[in-house]
Amino acid sequence: MTGLTEDVLEIAAARPRDPALRWRGADISYAELADLVRRAHQDLAGHPGEGPVAVVAPKSPEVVAFVLACVLARRAVLLPSPDLGRTALAELVHRAGCEHIVTATAAATASGLELRETGAPARPSGDVRFLLTTSGSTGAPKIVPLTAGSTDRFMRWAVGMFGIGPGVHVLNYAPLNFDLCLLDVWATLRAGGRVALVEAEHAVDPGHLVGLLEDDPHVVQAVPMFFRVVAEAVRSSGRRFPGVRHVVLTGDHTPRPLRAELPAVFPGARFHNVYGCTETNDSFVHSFDGHEADTHEVLPLGRPLPGVRTRIMTDEGELTGAGTGELWVATPFQTRGYLHEDGARFTTEPDGTTYFRSGDLVSRGADGELRLVGRTDFQVKVRGVRVSIEDVERVISEHPQVAEVGVVAVPDPQAGRRLHAVVRRRSDRLTGLGLRQHCAQRLVRAAIPAVIQVVDGPLPHTSTGKVDRKLIRKELLAGGS
Amino acid sequence: MTTTEGITEAIRTHILAEYLPGTPREELETSYDLLDNGVVTSLDLLALISWVEQRFQVPIDEVEISPDHFRSVDAMSEFVKRTTGK
Repeated sequence: MTGLTEDVLEIAAARPRDPALRWRGADISYAELADLVRRAHQDLAGHPGEGPVAVVAPKSPEVVAFVLACVLARRAVLLPSPDLGRTALAELVHRAGCEHIVTATAAATASGLELRETGAPARPSGDVRFLLTTSGSTGAPKIVPLTAGSTDRFMRWAVGMFGIGPGVHVLNYAPLNFDLCLLDVWATLRAGGRVALVEAEHAVDPGHLVGLLEDDPHVVQAVPMFFRVVAEAVRSSGRRFPGVRHVVLTGDHTPRPLRAELPAVFPGARFHNVYGCTETNDSFVHSFDGHEADTHEVLPLGRPLPGVRTRIMTDEGELTGAGTGELWVATPFQTRGYLHEDGARFTTEPDGTTYFRSGDLVSRGADGELRLVGRTDFQVKVRGVRVSIEDVERVISEHPQVAEVGVVAVPDPQAGRRLHAVVRRRSDRLTGLGLRQHCAQRLVRAAIPAVIQVVDGPLPHTSTGKVDRKLIRKELLAGGS
Repeated sequence: MTTTEGITEAIRTHILAEYLPGTPREELETSYDLLDNGVVTSLDLLALISWVEQRFQVPIDEVEISPDHFRSVDAMSEFVKRTTGK
């Protein structure tokens, strides 16, 4: 491999008529994509620099081409979250040292995008290809630089693992600022496959998503919310998507009742539960066939990807047998560290291996299998008992009448913290008191939410499709309940 | 408020208002286990006992109290009747 964009242009030369993108019901060929890349490259040539380029426009073929043009020009691409406010975005762009910013606000350029100076002091791109972000605890996003080498290694794994190549169709559900796009957009284009781009405004539109699946993708990677929307949409029609070969579950725990529905919807698929984070990219995969979809209450993390090293750390040191601790991972795909942050989450061992302290709690069973327990920071003490909020959510979500759930901890003068669960039910057969009994059978008493609020409307979601606990908590605290 | 039904309903009203706001009245069965299901926690128990004492003039100092007496609306109602002779 020479470079990401060079590989794409090579495919355009060798197989110009092969489809590269699926966009709004039509194919865009590699030749057309190459044309868009060249135009974007021209625009970029008018704004020379070595600092990163911030790309904040919504997903489109033009934006995909612009990112490829930046990569070709050896300029790092900052992909911020589209949810970022103007001030936060300006601050982020400045912190990342982006000399230029690309937006979709004007169409006066060859690429159809507006490219302008930011005025920020440039920070040389070096060998960094992408600058992704993760939410920081204080609210300001942390910048995660990923080098050409680390992303190349990841793409090579993804292409081999999922058999991506010419004639293979991949569905891209995630917004471009997600690391998931390294697999479903960038690795696919590099390997000569076709990417169907899902637009953010249709992300929860059941009819639209079903339509995209009828376009016959072979590989579908998405967060559980996508599969929930699809499963609900086809439940009555009984529609099936036998062409899908790989279903990649990522980003969150997929509740067992939802998993149980998937083999019928994707009867030809092998399923993969992938664990990873922006800092390290995918680190574990657990692959299984349809008949095993709901055999586990919680899916195991599975095997580490090739080259991935892991440790489980407790207060007493490394865990060697069964037990629970924080997962540390070192992957061939990882960042060297956040930009402008102390390295507290990264630990370099005497042998030179740098581990990322994931903040994820995992347990190792007697069988040696690892399972995600929750976040170290989602542990709260209720009446002196340590409770994992994610455990509580998982238990509630396993009730067959529960569509989705968010559990938050709110301060309580007596208990320290008390748990408040907001639950969307599938039918009015579910009551809060019934759900309490379900919890009582599966959780210690302190972990049973003090308040179980049953609603019929959808819960708020973050841009990643997870239930927005922060917003739920904010509303609860504002409401004084 | 001297009938069994009156006592039971007063207790049910209190439990709903204090510990299960927003829950429809008919949803709370009088036999529902309030302790095992986490409606009334160990910390809540003291307040609940003191409410029962004041509301029904239960001579708390003279009777033996066990959490089981507060396990359900029925159990509390039974406890009140037995200790007050109503």
